Amino acid sequence: MAVAESESVFTPATSRNTRGMLRVIILALIAAAAVSSRLFSVIRFESIIHEFDPWFNFRATKYLVQNGFYSFWDWFDDRTWHPLGRVTGGTLYPGLMVTSGVIYHALRFLTLPVDIRNICVLLAPGFSGLTALATYLLTSEMVTSPSAGLLAAAFMGITPGYISRSVAGSYDNEAIAIFLLVFTFFLWIKAVKNGSMFWGALTALFYGYMVSAWGGYVFITNLLPLHAFVLICMGRYSARLYVSYTSWYALGTLASMQIPFVGFLPIRSSEHMSSLGVFGLIQLVAFVDYVRAQLPSKQFQTLLRAIVLFVFVVAFGGLVLLTVSGVIAPWTGRFYSLWDTGYAKIHIPIIASVSEHQPTAWPAFFFDLSMMIWLFPAGVYMCFKRLTDEQVFIVIYAVLASYFAGVMVRLMLTLTPIVCVASAMAFSQILDTYLDTKTPKVDSKETGSSDAAKVAAAAVLPDGLRSTRKPVVGIYSYASKLTVVGASAVYLLLFVLHCTWVTSNAYSSPSVVLASRLPDGSQHIIDDYREAYYWLRQNTPDNAKIMSWWDYGYQIGGMADRPTLVDNNTWNNTHIATVGKAMSSREEVSYPIMRQHEVDYVLVVFGGLLGYSGDDINKFLWMVRIAEGIWPEEVKERNFFTPRGEYRVDEEATPTMKNSLMYKMSYYNYNSLFPAGQAQDRVRGARLPAQGPELSTIEEAFTSENWIIRIYKVKDLDNFGRDHQSATSFEKGHKKKRTAKRKGPRVLRVD
Amino acid sequence: MRWLQILTASLLPFTALAAKKPSGDRFNDFRAKSLSTGTVKLDDVSYSKFTKAPRDYAVAVLLTAMDTRFGCVLCREFQPEWDLLGKSWVKGDKNADTRLLFGTLDFIDGKSTFQSLMLQTAPIILYFHPTIGPNARVDTQPIRFDFTNGPQSAEQIHAWISRQLPADVPKPAVSRPINYVKIVSVTTGVLGVITFLAVASPYLVPVLQNRNIWAAISLIAVLLFTSGHMFNHIRKTPYVAGDGKGGISYFAGGFSNQFGLESQIVAAIYGVLSFATISLAFKVPRIADARAQQFAVFLWSGVLLCMYSFLLSVFRQKNGGYTFWLPPF
Repeated sequence: MAVAESESVFTPATSRNTRGMLRVIILALIAAAAVSSRLFSVIRFESIIHEFDPWFNFRATKYLVQNGFYSFWDWFDDRTWHPLGRVTGGTLYPGLMVTSGVIYHALRFLTLPVDIRNICVLLAPGFSGLTALATYLLTSEMVTSPSAGLLAAAFMGITPGYISRSVAGSYDNEAIAIFLLVFTFFLWIKAVKNGSMFWGALTALFYGYMVSAWGGYVFITNLLPLHAFVLICMGRYSARLYVSYTSWYALGTLASMQIPFVGFLPIRSSEHMSSLGVFGLIQLVAFVDYVRAQLPSKQFQTLLRAIVLFVFVVAFGGLVLLTVSGVIAPWTGRFYSLWDTGYAKIHIPIIASVSEHQPTAWPAFFFDLSMMIWLFPAGVYMCFKRLTDEQVFIVIYAVLASYFAGVMVRLMLTLTPIVCVASAMAFSQILDTYLDTKTPKVDSKETGSSDAAKVAAAAVLPDGLRSTRKPVVGIYSYASKLTVVGASAVYLLLFVLHCTWVTSNAYSSPSVVLASRLPDGSQHIIDDYREAYYWLRQNTPDNAKIMSWWDYGYQIGGMADRPTLVDNNTWNNTHIATVGKAMSSREEVSYPIMRQHEVDYVLVVFGGLLGYSGDDINKFLWMVRIAEGIWPEEVKERNFFTPRGEYRVDEEATPTMKNSLMYKMSYYNYNSLFPAGQAQDRVRGARLPAQGPELSTIEEAFTSENWIIRIYKVKDLDNFGRDHQSATSFEKGHKKKRTAKRKGPRVLRVD
Repeated sequence: MRWLQILTASLLPFTALAAKKPSGDRFNDFRAKSLSTGTVKLDDVSYSKFTKAPRDYAVAVLLTAMDTRFGCVLCREFQPEWDLLGKSWVKGDKNADTRLLFGTLDFIDGKSTFQSLMLQTAPIILYFHPTIGPNARVDTQPIRFDFTNGPQSAEQIHAWISRQLPADVPKPAVSRPINYVKIVSVTTGVLGVITFLAVASPYLVPVLQNRNIWAAISLIAVLLFTSGHMFNHIRKTPYVAGDGKGGISYFAGGFSNQFGLESQIVAAIYGVLSFATISLAFKVPRIADARAQQFAVFLWSGVLLCMYSFLLSVFRQKNGGYTFWLPPF
């Protein structure tokens, strides 16, 4: 930006040095801005791990630091998925934990004793600085203008689309994965440009790191082959492409197979078949290319082409056959649902139930990308001007990633880097044009044909874009320059304001700790989650099993350190459905289930008092749906809706709803808070029945300050062998109806 | 020729026998009817006869309204699936081991049945367990299947019916007939396309290699996807909705909600903004005439400012807490 202006001030030699210096300083400032804009949550709350998944990663990192790498690799965790356990070492992406472990040990080696928690909290902001750097490198490969790279780095540093997953405390796989994604793409572009085995091998190395860090590596696995394939189709096959692709594929596949969770997937699953297929294709093309260079006969060339096409078709058919016969695993549901968008809702409700797997409405795009959303198409258009090999990559990436981001909110993350690169290209083009101090000569007759070199250049590029066929003249008046530059400055300023506002308002809440405003404007912290988890930690035996919906499994494991039945890993649908059934059935049905799973405590989240909408009653239908998928006869979604098809919790709720364990646990004793008959649910805006639900097989153990978390203890079997219903009614003083039993002896006496 | 007459005459009693056969068992009676079509077509009278209480066979009846007057799309969509299910069940169940019959009752033929069952909606499947015999249940009430989850395939209904039957009873699988017409038409189509490509390739290749076309395709795709087209596609959002006062409301309330038209408007806004950017960046510096260039700069800057301001105002409407704005709107 500023670099372009300083052109005339310096002599060439000093100016090169000064520019390099300036660039380093600007990049360092951008990195600092990227890190500091992610610290809102630490400043407002405290240095705390956010959300759900990060709690597992944190727990795993602690395990790694305490027990060493090898025992982490073979870790079998018996404190989750009770009673099944989980082979944790073989079912996670270890990249994140190993990265923080390495940082931890490096700092210890430098005699800096930093708590592992602080490393985990600050890992994502730290890596976002590196992401900005990687974006600078990637953009600088695309265009000659140096300002584009700096602008892209600045965009990437502060765009909310990326901040959403990388604020301090958001210790998730994406924290390092986006840096690896962008850097791998940079290395790939470098490899394709230079045709160098060295860069290809580096691509493979970072690809391997990416595989170890995030399941989204499949995006790279398919994007690079697609790029190579499109280049081949465009007739742009070259030895450079061959060298870079084969070295990446061979080494990268080997590297990815080192991760236990990935294992032999690269040669056995459909997601990876495109890279294998293109690998085969590029060998064929290389062979044909070689033979063509040796034998110039025209017929022979035709024959060769036919052979290539034939082999390609046969190989493709073979692939389909292998998939059908089951040797190659078909697309897994998660990836398949990206193409067939209705698939997940019917077949895998557990995937459809996650909010970040929902499709994206347009406000979300604007919210996350702001002005870049309309600069982005302009940048993509700009790539068509010269359409070099690397610019083809931008176009493919742009189209694919916007499709994915449209289908799933979560994949906005993969779209963000390319949006930053493309819009920085467009924006810097404007800035470079209008910030030029030189004014062309006002000679309207001559300017068209005066510059012979430019006309010749235009003639050499016959199939360029229509808008760029005429030679560049430049901007005549200072008024136009001032208008455009001034407007650009305003837009940039607005962009920064937007990003800061979004980050501060939407993405900086830890979700473990909630903040609200009191009437006088001061901040009030709602800390029910930690209150309840620490209650569990201090008041229950070390191996008390906690049953809750899977959303809270990782947090219970991390904060309360108690075994759970299900957690956010969701590897076993039946187990989750079991919990769903226990929650959605009558007490008499749920009690045996809980006994069989040795459940000691049940935890529910209830937002009715505070108006906290993310509570269990709002998630309840998903529990019912998932349970119905396994037991369609015993749990029926229809029974939770009133005859008019409404989901209600008040007086008119269906009997199934009122008798379900979840409903009872949520509203138990709730009406005692209010005057008689006035109990109000503030989330669903409903007045509750005057008579609250009664519990017999479980008893209330703990309710947090704002009633967000309620914990119940599962009663032991009755001492007299009664069932719990009759025991409760006996304690209440109700008479037992025993008409059937009295008949027995009388009959006996008559005989 | 006399012997032929005798022969015919001697055969007469057999024809009488054959005609008399239906009077026997009710199950065989209805099963014979369903052999050709798979399901028995019922009316009020035969429905009550079909489901009368002492019954040693199970019954699955589809209550539907096929007539176009009722506008039941679901009924018409489901009918072939139901017939297919009935047909493959009857075919796979040669010896009638399952003792299950399929029936269809249209509203036109069975108005009083619909009234007596107090049915408001169609289609509905009722399943009656046998009341006598080995698989009998005490509960005489039929089990009801509502089409709450939209159209169902024959396989899904097959799974539902199989759940009602006891485990040891055979359940013939649904066998879809091979669609020869489709195979032939697809093959012809593929061959036709290949031929067309081979013939037209001299004309098509320049089009395929045209950068402007590819640029247009990519930009349209990007604009479609970033303006939430996939959301409309997946959620099946309405195109527009009324605002309650007789007018049209173009923008849906709420942050994660949108109308079909709304996303198109937004795509158009993005398109105009991008085009203005492209013009400023590439077209304007190539204008040789100084005054024309000056005019173009002001024009496109103005368009950019107005459109961006309008976009911000629309976004403010969607997201209540948003505070930023630009002059005109």
